[in-house]
Amino acid sequence: MSAIASARPRHTSGGAWRSAFHKLGQLGGLAALLVLLASAPLIFVLYHALGLSAEQWFHLWQGRLPRLLWNTLSLAGLVALFSLVLGVSSAWLVARREFVGRRLAIWLLVLPLTIPTYVFAHIYTIVLDDDGWLGLAWQALFGDQVSLPNLYSLGGTTFVLTLAGFSYVFLLVQAALGRSTQSLEEAARLQGASSGEIFRRVNLPLLRPAIAAGLALIVLHVLSDFGAVSMLRYQTFTLSIYLQMSGRFDYQAAAGLSLVLVLLSLSFLVLERFFRKRQRYYAGAQTRQAPRKPARGWELVLIWGWLGTIALFGFLLPLAWMIAWSWEAWLGDYIDVRFWSYAFNSGLVAFITASLTLLAAFPIALFHARRQNVLSQSFIHLSSIGFVLPGPVIALGILGFVLALLPPLYGTLGALVLALTIRFLPLATQAQEAALQQLTPSLEQAGRVLGAGPLENLWRVILPVIRGGLASAWVLVFIDALKELPATLLLRPTGFDTLPVRIWIEASEEMLEMAAPAALVLVVGTLPAIWIMLRSERRPA
Amino acid sequence: MKRLIAFSLVLASLFATAAMAGEDLVIYSGRSDKFVKPVVKAFTEKTGIHVTLHSAKSTALLNKLRLEGERTEADLYLSNDAGNLQRGSDLGLFQPIPADLATRIPANYRASDNTWLGLSARARVLVVNTHSPLAKQLHSVFDLAKPELRGRIGITNSANESFIAGVTVYMLTAGVDATRDWLKGLQRNAELNVFNKHSKIVKAVAKGQLEVGLVNHYYIFRHLAKHPKAPVRILIPDQGPDDIGVAWNVAGIAISKYSHHVDAAQRFVDFVSSPEGQRIFAEVNREYPTRPGVPTAPEIPPADSIKVADVPMEKLGELRNATLDLLQEVDMP
Repeated sequence: MSAIASARPRHTSGGAWRSAFHKLGQLGGLAALLVLLASAPLIFVLYHALGLSAEQWFHLWQGRLPRLLWNTLSLAGLVALFSLVLGVSSAWLVARREFVGRRLAIWLLVLPLTIPTYVFAHIYTIVLDDDGWLGLAWQALFGDQVSLPNLYSLGGTTFVLTLAGFSYVFLLVQAALGRSTQSLEEAARLQGASSGEIFRRVNLPLLRPAIAAGLALIVLHVLSDFGAVSMLRYQTFTLSIYLQMSGRFDYQAAAGLSLVLVLLSLSFLVLERFFRKRQRYYAGAQTRQAPRKPARGWELVLIWGWLGTIALFGFLLPLAWMIAWSWEAWLGDYIDVRFWSYAFNSGLVAFITASLTLLAAFPIALFHARRQNVLSQSFIHLSSIGFVLPGPVIALGILGFVLALLPPLYGTLGALVLALTIRFLPLATQAQEAALQQLTPSLEQAGRVLGAGPLENLWRVILPVIRGGLASAWVLVFIDALKELPATLLLRPTGFDTLPVRIWIEASEEMLEMAAPAALVLVVGTLPAIWIMLRSERRPA
Repeated sequence: MKRLIAFSLVLASLFATAAMAGEDLVIYSGRSDKFVKPVVKAFTEKTGIHVTLHSAKSTALLNKLRLEGERTEADLYLSNDAGNLQRGSDLGLFQPIPADLATRIPANYRASDNTWLGLSARARVLVVNTHSPLAKQLHSVFDLAKPELRGRIGITNSANESFIAGVTVYMLTAGVDATRDWLKGLQRNAELNVFNKHSKIVKAVAKGQLEVGLVNHYYIFRHLAKHPKAPVRILIPDQGPDDIGVAWNVAGIAISKYSHHVDAAQRFVDFVSSPEGQRIFAEVNREYPTRPGVPTAPEIPPADSIKVADVPMEKLGELRNATLDLLQEVDMP
């Protein structure tokens, strides 16, 4: 490991690569190895896509690609836009206003993360049915003449995916607002800036990394979402790839489509990085946090009106539905020992995956935080494979990889955990990297000057500083692993059912009484994880 | 950190072995758990052989079977659709079922090389609202494409296996061109009434929002069992002397080529093709047992009163991709 790393000036010439490789070091070597493993599914895709002839590519291009591109991009754009509106506005309110039930509001805005997209889709198709709760309310309000909103559309899919995803923006922006210190705002105010100007010229630039990271998470979730789009039959790349593979056994066309999706996602990531470039702010010695202005009267009503509406659709309504149908299941005696074994399986897989992913992401994130060069940057990009490839493709890639190189692992939990780790690696890398950005170079330097070795520095300086970030990363992965569907469907050991698998099976058979308790347990099971995350965010770093 | 790794690895290996199916008979099942469990239970009670059910969608499981090759743990494959079964045969994933078992089922409900057996059959029928004038006017599925039915019909989306199988039958009996025109008409008439579930079609027809829908027969009786007074009834289409007959599809079973428990797997096939097993298998879902002489659920029209389209079930697999191409060509929702 090189002695002291600070924010170096960026090289852009070809020499940058050479010098980056030269200074790889142990940490870099480890990171490289992990990144290589994470790229296994990509290699699978490339291998199959190479089998496509020029004519087949042309056919693909002519036939479906334009429509798939439009469907996918418009969905991602709309979900990002609405998530931005919901996430930033609610984050600003809870970070800058003091009001009755503020902590409750934070919980309600994070809790939608516990509900998988396919459960959102499933529930809203049912409650929006003309004898569903919202359907009846709709008819009471508008009469029979105005037809119910159609969920099987761009608008419907946007609605579902926004509710399922905006919390990422909320969480990251809220954390960033909590961190940003008051001195900059005060300085601006002393210079005569209005509050609008302060938000635009001080807060917003400071928030840009958080917003960018949140949006990146959301867009990547949308691009790789399988559950909701397949329930709502909205043809995105991921759904089309899945149908191509599983309906027609056409791996080549599926791989071709996957490759286009990968390029799409990677170019998006590069773009996102570009916007985040040079956005490194170090908090100085002064850590006085901005005070929250008390909100009373009309302001309070407005705040709760807004946050309450979001919480109603994002969490309370789905929760009420789950409870109502779980009650039916309870009465109908559907909940037996097997049901609890599904819950146990889910928890087990998610726990192992979250822990392993955190470990695997750390060298990659740390390497990048230290070096900030083209190589470390490309490691970060490559480790994002898990997010840019659709879950079903990752599962297939890992299946091929395991059968070819590690046959004994096949059919065990190991193969599943490997796939899930690769799938959620970017989540952990992103979160850890963001946390490591708070690590001022001077802090690390101080540790080294005082005689701490690299490991001691890691243990006594780096880890304590990024503890909150690590906890968030663990929780984010845990939650996503708990909800994961497509890879689990393909790679779970024989007869090994998790809650999402059961929800999927029961929902496709319309056994509402069976799907609801599984979804409810999923939500309840995530609560401790969310609690850990919110607690660690409150602690000053 | 190290302790965490060690802990995770121990846990992983521990449960990896615990989760393996071991000596159980493993069934990859694409059929609703609710309908498979009663048969499995009766089988285990009778033979003492334990069964592990691995449920998912039929196509996904077939995919898995194919990728796994000889490493598969599956002994049996159960599918709701003859198309998938034949597809598996074509891919060489199954082994022949002994002739004495296979011949219990009529030849048109099984693979010609006995690599799969149809166990229960369902008919593609119309559900009509009894108050609708259409209840008396309709005779054929092809009537659904008539312009005057615009906005009055409901269909499932074209990803539905039963829908796909039905279209294959119409393609073979009425020809590709007629089927293409029919699909276009269907698309226009169903416009906003393309459902993801058959049961929603039946419900919409029962409520009078729609007058007719294209469904599998048992969805109608499932609805009637819950709501005995619902104004819906079954209309079996294309029954005239010159008509094609109703489209038919089977759920069936196959033994994996790489099964390590061939004896037990054959005993399972023996059981589900026995009168007792046939009854449980078909009756839970109000389907038609494929073994002759086994009684059907009392409420459904007897099989011998129905004219069935003359299409061997094998064709549903062979022509599946051609059907998918046609559906894509007309951009069927």
